[in-house]
Amino acid sequence: MELLEGEKEQILATVDAILNNQPLQKDRLIPVLQRVQAELGYLPGLAMEKIAAAAGVSAVEVYGLATFYNQFRLNPPGKHQLKVCMGTACYMVGGQIALESFERRLGIKEGETTPDRKFSLERVACVGCCTMAPVVVVDENVEGHVTPTRVDGILLSFEGEEGKTRGEAKSPAAVESEAKP
Amino acid sequence: MSKVTVIIDGREIKAPAGRKLLWVALENGIYIPNLCAVEEYARPPASCRLCFVQVEGREKPVTSCTLPAADGLAVQTRSPRVDRLVRTAFELLLSDHRLQCASCPANRACELQKIARERKLKLRYGRFPYLQREPAPDDSPQTFAFDPSRCVLCGRCIWADQEVAKIGAIGFSRRGINRSVTTFKDVALAESPCNECGLCVKACPVGALYFKKTAESK
Amino acid sequence: MSTATVAEQYRALRQEAAAAVEALKQKPVVWVGTATCGVAAGALKIKEAFEQEIKERGLDVAVLETGCMGHCYAEPMAIIAKPGHVPLCYGRLDEGLVHRLVVDFLDGDDPGYEYALVALEPNDLFPTFSDFPRGVYEEKMILEQCGFIDPGNMDHYLARDGYAAVAKILEMKPEEVLAEVKAANLRGRGGAGFPAGEKWEACRKAPGEQKYVICNGDEGDPGAFMDRGLLESDPHRVIEGMIICAYAVGASRGYLYIRAEYPKAVERVEGAIARAREKGLLGQSILGSGFSFDLEVFQGSGAFVCGESSALVRSMEGKMGIPEVRPPRLAESGFRGCPTVLNNVKTFAYVPAIIMKGADWFRSTGTAGSPGTAVFSLVGKVNNTGLVEVPMGTTLRQLIFDVGEGIPGDKKFKAAQIGGPSGGCLPEAMLDVPIDFDSLQEAGAIMGSGGLVVLNEDDCMVAVARYFLEFTQHESCGKCTFCRLGTRHMLDILTDISRGKGSLESLELLQELCEDVRDGSLCNLGKTAPNPVLTTLRYFRDEYEAHILEGRCPSLMCKDLIVYYIEPKKCSKLCNVCVGSCPTEAIYTRDDGLKAINQEKCVKCDNCLKTCPVEYNAVIKLSPPSLLAEKEGKSK
Repeated sequence: MELLEGEKEQILATVDAILNNQPLQKDRLIPVLQRVQAELGYLPGLAMEKIAAAAGVSAVEVYGLATFYNQFRLNPPGKHQLKVCMGTACYMVGGQIALESFERRLGIKEGETTPDRKFSLERVACVGCCTMAPVVVVDENVEGHVTPTRVDGILLSFEGEEGKTRGEAKSPAAVESEAKP
Repeated sequence: MSKVTVIIDGREIKAPAGRKLLWVALENGIYIPNLCAVEEYARPPASCRLCFVQVEGREKPVTSCTLPAADGLAVQTRSPRVDRLVRTAFELLLSDHRLQCASCPANRACELQKIARERKLKLRYGRFPYLQREPAPDDSPQTFAFDPSRCVLCGRCIWADQEVAKIGAIGFSRRGINRSVTTFKDVALAESPCNECGLCVKACPVGALYFKKTAESK
Repeated sequence: MSTATVAEQYRALRQEAAAAVEALKQKPVVWVGTATCGVAAGALKIKEAFEQEIKERGLDVAVLETGCMGHCYAEPMAIIAKPGHVPLCYGRLDEGLVHRLVVDFLDGDDPGYEYALVALEPNDLFPTFSDFPRGVYEEKMILEQCGFIDPGNMDHYLARDGYAAVAKILEMKPEEVLAEVKAANLRGRGGAGFPAGEKWEACRKAPGEQKYVICNGDEGDPGAFMDRGLLESDPHRVIEGMIICAYAVGASRGYLYIRAEYPKAVERVEGAIARAREKGLLGQSILGSGFSFDLEVFQGSGAFVCGESSALVRSMEGKMGIPEVRPPRLAESGFRGCPTVLNNVKTFAYVPAIIMKGADWFRSTGTAGSPGTAVFSLVGKVNNTGLVEVPMGTTLRQLIFDVGEGIPGDKKFKAAQIGGPSGGCLPEAMLDVPIDFDSLQEAGAIMGSGGLVVLNEDDCMVAVARYFLEFTQHESCGKCTFCRLGTRHMLDILTDISRGKGSLESLELLQELCEDVRDGSLCNLGKTAPNPVLTTLRYFRDEYEAHILEGRCPSLMCKDLIVYYIEPKKCSKLCNVCVGSCPTEAIYTRDDGLKAINQEKCVKCDNCLKTCPVEYNAVIKLSPPSLLAEKEGKSK
């Protein structure tokens, strides 16, 4: 993915602000990656290289962390994040069916983002709301008892929406800059 | 370091106390299958699960790369339980290894071939079908190439790159079945900090990393 | 530094808190349960509605947040405590009911008993928890305050003698604290049941200036949320347990490792740490005793394997969460190579009460080998889902049929999945197994951290085993051969079986491979990964055989072995719901007006079956799919 000039600067400024010119202890690596992702929505290569240099480790080591843990994303997420819970309770009452419904409706697979960057679809291990199974986390909101019909309802609620974000999108700035051609 | 006496397959052997049994055995001409072992590791990865031995007095086989030599420690390198685990581990590794020995640069210098010979195991897909995940090879470096479809994830190349050569061009990334040896962002090796010192190639026990010259002569 | 200072300082803190809580009791209070499960059910809207209605009427009523009472089936819930009335708990609230309660009860004087679930104090009018079967079996040692205090307000914890145990141990010798925990035989609640006292003692004895205490809140079992409930509802109890542990082992720093998927728990624990620090219960010289200990939260980044202790510690060190060979144990060489105690959230939560009430009190509940209580998240096909705490030794039957009030609908119980991906599925015949660490292990399951999923006749055991293997595959760190590749081949075999492509030989191979993965894997994630397969093979072999020999899924769950069919006799003709619900336009209206399914187009999403009105119930599933020809032949 090619970055635009402005994006590069924004990424570097964000990482600089978080590192604050301090040497980075290796055991702060994960918290720093979490903060960078919270700001930017994902972990750009540029950010990983800069963090690796600050911690005195090789960039491939940081890449290892970023690809090992579920939480980290290497590409910008969609404006709305749909996380389908695949905990036991959800799976047994149709979590898979909910996931497939989203996949069918959005035309993407789990782990992907729609071409218009509006939605990204993920499966998560268990959000701990088992009693409302099957559960989907829509942005920051937990939706319970999600049947295929409810899937349509969730997607419909975003229809016609332009440039606004429901709930608390992590970083409107990053999202908007991504929306540019 | 004080010396202790261990008994391997009935042979009494003197060894420094605490030295891992795998190395004691190998030095004394007793072969135990292994892929991931590097003696300098502070903590052995014990990831390939091939170096099992049967310790007298213990029910389940243990990995010899993690077993410290202690006075009177008696082990058998073979037992029905050891053989069963080694066979399964070996067949599992083969199921994710592109088997084309004849055209492999490591033919006749391959650790998998050695294990098969020593333990009379078959070098073909058996109980577990070939997974056929064939990631693309990287032949971007001038002197060597990397074919991940032959990689057994022993990690010896990473040890050579990060701890011996101190370059940091390659490392493990991802997890589970997708765990692999890669560069930063999966770029070609030629675009990574690699300086082609060749240490990783020499460390590879199979034909995943190989010098182009060797391949040409085959 | 006299010892009196500690007691005095604590007394002052407690008095201040008690006064604040007493002041609160002078006016009506509405407590809304806003743990994650409550919020998911709409608790924040309910809270807003209360606030709005109260404001509109100009009433002097406090609206506060509380945690999870454990009765998740009735969320959203609220407690109304009005002076002169017994405090009442209301469930399944909506805005209309909120309006009614504010008008009639808070503004008027009618508590609306018809809407109340339960009273919180004994009275002549309305039943309390102990009047229900669940209340008879439940015994709350660590969940006692969950849902009844404001986790964001430390006064509530202090006023109920919170941190009294810290004040007490600071006047004891660390060895005495250790002796009490050992005498209690408190076994780790993370799954394996290793005695906490022994762990602490090993850490205390290990040489080293710097020692650490870590709380494992990386609750990753799919189907378990006890730790989240506790951290969100009563965070100070866990913090207090950690302070006591730190004092006993000689640690000056601690960490709460909490999954990033639990933002609310992270927020509440961080708030609780900050307030404990303000009151001098964390940080330098706690309560003026000279003993210093501080805590911070470390957010896990989403890797189930980090529940394994060595992997958890590696991830805190900025590495991949990959388990390592033991020994050395963490108590000798843990975080940053220093002696470290790592215990589960619940384990720490028991400690304050053990200190205050003594080891004998703790041991008087539960069984000889597993004293105390067991906390479960009871979910799946059971009426009363939620967080429950029962004495160890309670049977699965009591837990599911008495505490959980049985299986919804007319469905038959099939299995209890206990212990998550490391546990097993126990059938009806095993329901009288007492719940304790050792009995469950004998049955082939494990206690695990306390996830209990109830399965009924609609749940296919092959699909369940396959689900857990898929989970393990997804969550395996990939380091060792058996777990990385062994579980992959197990999953492939199970997938084949669920598609009707298995053979009896593949069943044998599956059994062998399970045994080898169990014996050959490096860490406990791999060693226990075969449990769901081994237990289903042991107790539900007939289901495997039906898939293999008849191409039939007895529970009508495995997609490749079922077809959807609309029974002409039941179909109404006039209703078009199924046609509209079908996402792929597979359902069409026949010339005679009846609906039918084009099998080529059907994606088996279950929508038509769910939406077909109950008065018709015309959509059914058939397995094996060959039954379809027979049905269609007949209907012609």
